[in-house]
Amino acid sequence: MQSKIRNFSIIAHIDHGKSTLADRLLEYTRTIDKRNMREQVLDSMELERERGITIKSQAIRMKYKGYILNLIDTPGHVDFSYEVSRSLAACEGALLIVDATQGIEAQTLANTNLALANNLKIIPVINKIDLPGAEVQMAKEELMHTLGFAENEILLASAKEGTGIEEILKAIIDKVPPPQGDENKPLQALIFDSHYDTYRGVIVYIKVVNGRLNTGDNILFMGTGKKFEALEIGTFCLSLIPKTALESGEVGYLIANIKNIADAHVGDTITTVTQGAQKALAGYRPIKPMVFCGFYPINGEEYEALKEALEKLQLNDAALFYEAETSAALGFGFRCGFLGLLHMEITQQRLAREFNLGLIATTPNVIYKINLNNKKSIQIDNPTKFPDASTVASIEEPYFKVSIFTPSEYVGAIMQLATDKRGNFINLEYIDQKRAIITYEMPLSEVIIEFHDLLKSVSRGYASMDYEQIGYKASDLVKLDILINQEPVDALSFIVHRDRAQYYGRKLCERLVEEIPRQMFSIPIQAAVGSKVIARETVTAKRKDVLAKCYGGDVSRKRKLLEKQKEGKKKMKRIGKVDIPQEAFLAVLRLNK
Amino acid sequence: MTSLYIHIPFCKKKCNYCDFVSSAGKEELIDGYVEALIHELASLPPTFYLPPATIYLGGGTPTLLEPKYFDKIISPIIGHWKLDIGNFEISVEANPGTADKSKLKELRRLGINRLSIGAQSFNDQQLKALGRIHNSEANLRFYDDARSVGFENINLDMIFALPEQTLDQWKKDLQTALSLKPEHLSTYNLQIEQGTPLSLHVTDYLFPDEDTELTMYEHTIETLAGSGYKHYEISNFAKPGFECRHNIVYWKNGNYIGIGAGAHSHVNGKRWSNPNCIEKYLNSSFAPQPSPIVPDQSETIFMGLRLLDGLEVEKLTGFEKELAELIESGLLIRENLHIKLTRQGLYLANEVFARFV
Repeated sequence: MQSKIRNFSIIAHIDHGKSTLADRLLEYTRTIDKRNMREQVLDSMELERERGITIKSQAIRMKYKGYILNLIDTPGHVDFSYEVSRSLAACEGALLIVDATQGIEAQTLANTNLALANNLKIIPVINKIDLPGAEVQMAKEELMHTLGFAENEILLASAKEGTGIEEILKAIIDKVPPPQGDENKPLQALIFDSHYDTYRGVIVYIKVVNGRLNTGDNILFMGTGKKFEALEIGTFCLSLIPKTALESGEVGYLIANIKNIADAHVGDTITTVTQGAQKALAGYRPIKPMVFCGFYPINGEEYEALKEALEKLQLNDAALFYEAETSAALGFGFRCGFLGLLHMEITQQRLAREFNLGLIATTPNVIYKINLNNKKSIQIDNPTKFPDASTVASIEEPYFKVSIFTPSEYVGAIMQLATDKRGNFINLEYIDQKRAIITYEMPLSEVIIEFHDLLKSVSRGYASMDYEQIGYKASDLVKLDILINQEPVDALSFIVHRDRAQYYGRKLCERLVEEIPRQMFSIPIQAAVGSKVIARETVTAKRKDVLAKCYGGDVSRKRKLLEKQKEGKKKMKRIGKVDIPQEAFLAVLRLNK
Repeated sequence: MTSLYIHIPFCKKKCNYCDFVSSAGKEELIDGYVEALIHELASLPPTFYLPPATIYLGGGTPTLLEPKYFDKIISPIIGHWKLDIGNFEISVEANPGTADKSKLKELRRLGINRLSIGAQSFNDQQLKALGRIHNSEANLRFYDDARSVGFENINLDMIFALPEQTLDQWKKDLQTALSLKPEHLSTYNLQIEQGTPLSLHVTDYLFPDEDTELTMYEHTIETLAGSGYKHYEISNFAKPGFECRHNIVYWKNGNYIGIGAGAHSHVNGKRWSNPNCIEKYLNSSFAPQPSPIVPDQSETIFMGLRLLDGLEVEKLTGFEKELAELIESGLLIRENLHIKLTRQGLYLANEVFARFV
């Protein structure tokens, strides 16, 4: 049985054609009728389609020439690298897709390395060979040089045109090894994804690594210690197809009346309650949010609605963390934790779009470890919890190793940028004459604040990056406060390196002056460290706002104008006497726009 | 009492800043249009057919019409209600370049006693930028003609914050206007409306900045007050007794009936309007479709506050909180039983009005 199974995933950079290729495979294997083909079947969420990225992974079972091919899709962003690693762990092989017009990107390389670490057989495919700008030979050389492929291993395809698809399917069957599970061992099934279904509870995506899972088995989730009964198991083929058992090497789903998605943790191992496995599969890691920010309803009456919306999102997003908090400036809201900045942005957009909530998101920050003079140590996920500076002995912040892939002409500019962002240079390696990988150690706090935008801007969009956590390091950090009209606005406080406080303070004040509309009085905006003001700007008073002409008897037109003016105000948050637009609270993310 | 507005949507050429209901090059429709106006007047429900409190012919360019049309439109009304034209306001908007002395004389003879002249500016370059068909000299000649045929109540429409206009140029424009000694002056801050030709060329010109606009407005208020004009509405100034009675009806949210394409009506809390498009108007049956009566306290407030005498405090019942805040922030002031805009409130009138919608 196992000898006829091939489990594989597709590694590709955003826009390099993963979803289109997946569509072609589904068509070619007649898993889905061409007539019923919706473009990019795998990206089902509206936001995914729009941003062209896959946030949640899915799996699809195809039958081809007597083989079962399970395509396990992986999330396509750096924030979800742990989820990617677990999806890859469920596979024995991977297609590595490289855009013939773009070449390898940092994230592709990172995911390929993850796949190699999981002992996957990699099949390199150069896609989009039909495009006029295709540089097939260069892409080939990159694959050969950076990843050591032989030229004759590399397949050429155009997913859009449907060329090379048969060769790809043949390579999957011939080159990807079948799963090597032991049917006689106790059950070990890997959870590589899950999603919440309103009617059926959590649907868990699993790969049976060893043993066998039967309907009705009493099962144990080894990481969380939770026990359930396997009510229904089966395989995916765009819909769920129930089966009585899943055998070693098979990929499928499990329904077990699980109410809370956090109980079906990606990377966890499922075994049987009796005569179960002694050891869980390797690689399990508890979810740990890395980036935090406050979400506040603009309109205080929407607090309950926001709470319900977060509850609903969390049903399907085990990585989303939230707890109630109060801000002096913004009132009642939630402190939320995310895997990264993109995860945060997506959550914010979903709250706005799917739940129609007007939100203020505060400046994102990381978890700081603060060692106090009294030898105690605290961790803070919110700058407002920053203790009095006189009680602080030292502060540590999380550092990441950042790998940047870039055309060589931008190396200088990128190194300057990384240095500005407090990066410690680790390595510079030229892959070939045209491309380089630069490695830095950087504080996460600097990576999440405008680094990615600046990287794109200094490299004209060509550089890409990947990052991984490397632990905490001591830094000389201070809390920067922002005062608007003499009142400190806690939601705008953030923690910065002492040497950078002046720069951030000045930039932030400048930015806020642009974001805050003129009002009927002048508004001083100050940045301060402790009681020392380090930057100051002023929003000058609005002096004139009067419609000169009154349109004869057309009062309704006049009314509409006034209503529009009033509506605009409602979208702002009033702090003291000042109306502050949503965007202002994220000003720190847009210092250079 | 109900005032009567009659819209004449024809122009020789549409001005670059204009987004009113008006079109150029449709003179062949005038005949039928005037017939339609007369028909609409006749088909008004009897309850509306009261002696009008005022009559105002606006445009467009009413003076594009030959006197015979004015005769057809207004003479029956004057005759029917036996209006005392010595003590009654019949205004007509008049554009230099569309009427000579003899036409003006005819209009005066028909009983029209107030002329609102769209001079707009006395700077030829700026008139050109606005797309006006007349120059400064035509303005002066037109004004003289109007005076010489016996108009004793003349308004000059002036616009400031024009393309490339400096403060000094506006001061000069205002002096020229004052030298003519009109009974009434309307001074409008140029507004660039979306979709107008001017809106497409905003980047071609340097416009005065907000602070300069404000200085122009302040200068206007002070200069006109010093010359014996009463500042009685945000943009309007008059010698005592020459306030525009028709416009005051709008500002007091009173009753008015609008006749013609795109004209709006408001009678006893009901509002309705005619089709904007001339051709559609010509084909409509003139059965007014009044909106349901809606409480229009907001309109009463934001229109009423445009008048510098303000409005009675009881008309603001229910808005006590807004009122208190606006008084505290110095934008409104209470004088006896009236609430008025302060000088600062005048400059920030929209901020004030928006609180009441």
